[in-house]
Amino acid sequence: MEIQELNDLSPLRVFDESLGGGLGRGNLGVLVSRHGVGKTACLVHLATDKLLHSEHVIHVSFSGNVEHVINWYKEVFREVSEGRSLDDAASVYNNILSNRVVMNFSQENVTIDKVLSSLETLIKHGSFKADAILFDGYKLTIATEDDVRKIKAFAQEMNLEVWFSVSPVRADVTYDKYGVPSTMLKYIDLIDVLIGLIYNEERDKVVMTAVKAQGAMMEKPMGVSLDPKTMLISK
Amino acid sequence: MANVHTLRNIGISAHIDSGKTTLSERILYYCNKIHEIHEVRGKDGVGATMDSMELERERGITIASAATNVIWRDHEINVIDTPGHVDFTIEVERSLRVLDGAVLVLCSVGGVQSQSLTVDRQMKRYHVPRIAFINKCDRTGANPYRVKNQLVEKLGLNAVLMQIPIGLEDRLEGMVDLVTMKALYFDAGPHKDQVREEEIPSHLLEEAKARREELLDGVSLCSDELMEAMLEENVTVEILNKAIREATISLQLCPVFMGSAYKNKGIQPLLDAVVNYLPNPTDVVNKALDLDNHEEEVILHSDDDLPTVALAFKLEDGQYGQLTYIRVYQGKIRKGDELYNTRSRRKFRVGRLIRMHASTMEDLTEAGSGEIAALFGIDCASGDTFCDPKLNYSLSSMYVPNPVISLAVKPVDKKASDNMAKALNRFTKEDPTFRTFVDPESNQTIIQGMGELHLEVYVERMKREYKAEVEIGQPEVAYREAITARADFNYTHKKQTGGSGQYARVAGYIEPLVDTGGDEPVNYEFVDEIKGGTIPSEFIPSCDKGFQTAIKKGSQVGFPILGVRAVINDGAWHAVDSSDMAFQTAALSAFREAFERAKPVILEPIMRVEVVAPNEFQGSVFASINQRRGMIVSSTEDTTSSTVVAEVPLSEMFGYSTVLRSLTQGKGEFTMEIGKYGRVPVSVSEELKKAYQEKRKH
Repeated sequence: MEIQELNDLSPLRVFDESLGGGLGRGNLGVLVSRHGVGKTACLVHLATDKLLHSEHVIHVSFSGNVEHVINWYKEVFREVSEGRSLDDAASVYNNILSNRVVMNFSQENVTIDKVLSSLETLIKHGSFKADAILFDGYKLTIATEDDVRKIKAFAQEMNLEVWFSVSPVRADVTYDKYGVPSTMLKYIDLIDVLIGLIYNEERDKVVMTAVKAQGAMMEKPMGVSLDPKTMLISK
Repeated sequence: MANVHTLRNIGISAHIDSGKTTLSERILYYCNKIHEIHEVRGKDGVGATMDSMELERERGITIASAATNVIWRDHEINVIDTPGHVDFTIEVERSLRVLDGAVLVLCSVGGVQSQSLTVDRQMKRYHVPRIAFINKCDRTGANPYRVKNQLVEKLGLNAVLMQIPIGLEDRLEGMVDLVTMKALYFDAGPHKDQVREEEIPSHLLEEAKARREELLDGVSLCSDELMEAMLEENVTVEILNKAIREATISLQLCPVFMGSAYKNKGIQPLLDAVVNYLPNPTDVVNKALDLDNHEEEVILHSDDDLPTVALAFKLEDGQYGQLTYIRVYQGKIRKGDELYNTRSRRKFRVGRLIRMHASTMEDLTEAGSGEIAALFGIDCASGDTFCDPKLNYSLSSMYVPNPVISLAVKPVDKKASDNMAKALNRFTKEDPTFRTFVDPESNQTIIQGMGELHLEVYVERMKREYKAEVEIGQPEVAYREAITARADFNYTHKKQTGGSGQYARVAGYIEPLVDTGGDEPVNYEFVDEIKGGTIPSEFIPSCDKGFQTAIKKGSQVGFPILGVRAVINDGAWHAVDSSDMAFQTAALSAFREAFERAKPVILEPIMRVEVVAPNEFQGSVFASINQRRGMIVSSTEDTTSSTVVAEVPLSEMFGYSTVLRSLTQGKGEFTMEIGKYGRVPVSVSEELKKAYQEKRKH
């Protein structure tokens, strides 16, 4: 199968459709759930889809282990390409790698100003024309409103999409039926897309709900869910 | 002969400037090998390798000798040197092969740095069990807890603290041993450097108990016996030590120790740990390849009564003449024995057999399984396997990467020329990634290696150690050629020049060989699809040989061709005129002709470059990589520095060390190793082809 066809058949098209045509540049999107539901894989799947559309992606992580992130990309690409027997997968993978940079911040309590300035440095001095930035494990729930505003301004200035995967830091948060923690609601106005992930035992799937999209609260079940085996978005 | 169960072969591996030399010296001191302590102080990290070599010579001791034998608590410990710099990867990897365990030394301030990552990666690859020693706890900013967390996060090790510090920085007094729950101070004895054991100071008792719980939790995950003992609340020092030892040897655990070598604190507990937790030669599985049986893997046993298998892992030109360091894996080596070198296929007799101590050497009559010894005056290369003449095993199947860079060297006079020949002869034996040859076209001596620095060090060594003054040319990149499409061929080689002629016809195709992603790239494959004997079977190998000659030199820039499959499926022969030579020539010409039609491209070595610099220079580093056609893979920031990993064509990396130094006010450093071969952009490839054509005309 060729890339074009693989992209057309990708479950990410359904994902975009459920959001009324994707997130869009200058906007912030959030995937939120409890720990261990599979947000990183989901985020990497989003990034891989963009890479397969020849877009440039920066993956921001805070774990201190870059190899770990890189292995996720390898795994997700393998799942995606083997599932559809993509032609010449090895060289496709080599090509898309040049459009991905992993930025890792391992200092404790790094400020958002520092993160944004490093991103700007990479985009400007490193001449890396990013189309999307994915924040993996950013503690959005304890960030201030001002921090989120700065990220939003950055997304608009640089004209790129920003995705977050978020798990609450505090243990005492409560979750609604879509898996969205209460601590998330204070930024709801600044966020353009909010997707809640929750494991459904009966269906043995991680159910995805578009809580907010197209600038409005909607609470609409998405046409996709997470496969609990591969942790990938599937129809 | 040593008892194999009380034998430890260990390496001490560390980032430059984390205090490896000082630690090694203290180990010698505490094992009563030297009687005074000298300091290394006043040297900066730059050129530390050379420093310690000269240092050694001045003092006549062998800190950085390939292997030094010491005794601690009735255990024999061979301390094997592991070079620190990544440009000498092959040396590092070969010494790792000889180790059964290692001490990873880290600086309590600097923590896990890029070189620690590389060395740790290599240790993982060779399954070397390790314990960590966090050195320099007396320094300002020392934080062993942070370094331990980095071992977990950055290296992915299951690191557990075995001690906690009593005081830190200039108030470092000693450590609490979490296994025995005793406080250790290091101020007893006439020199105030021996261990004094006391009760744990009351202000640390709570902390020590909590950390001991962590230790027990970490270790019990790997040991059912300990888990049971914990449930019965009957954890003895013996049970705990046994569990730690097993978990360390099976690579499930990395015990972390700390101290300050410079201040003589923490060395004895570290030596105890080497004895208690690191494996003896029988705890480790070693394999060899049986060359008589399609390189089938065979397991070696540390048993003196079995036929001998040993590895020559290092050659050294020391004050005592030429030494070949060997490790015996199976059987034993005795003076006067006959051994077989499986690479050179030559037999030789063991003359003098010795063991190196700090400042002396000891003559041995035999060396048993697991032991490390040295031989005098053996003609061999490092990496060679010595066997009982009954066997034909090879230990070093290790993949040797091809050199990526070459440099012309010209001796200034006759004397320098003789000395250079001696030096090159030695270097090529020591280091298989270092090669040399005389270019038949220019008649120049060319040296090849793994990087600019790699060659620079050898040029420097030629001058210092061999008094060979040489002029060097511009470094040149080792390009490769490849095809990107299939091309058919049908070639007839016919020649009639009186007497018997030459006749051969070969038909088939060549196509790109897709890299399957294995460790050792397959560069050439020959497929015989001849049916009905259109080429008689005796000439099939001739075709193979002809293709192999063809791929040695591509037609675009004269470099070897990579990744090609040659298939023959038809041909013709003549009862009188066909010969081995005729088919070789036919295959060679067929290949050359098809190559032109197979959309050939030029490949260049792409280096995996790792740059570490203070955070404020991140922008300059990004820009410098971008200007060099580089691709940024990742960037990691911690509180002080950022590490940028990138893939950059080697041709763009010449002089980068100077550039980086000026960009970062001397605070940045970088390492690189060959990553892969990548396609040269069209504009560059046109230039290269033009230059090659020009060169051929002259």
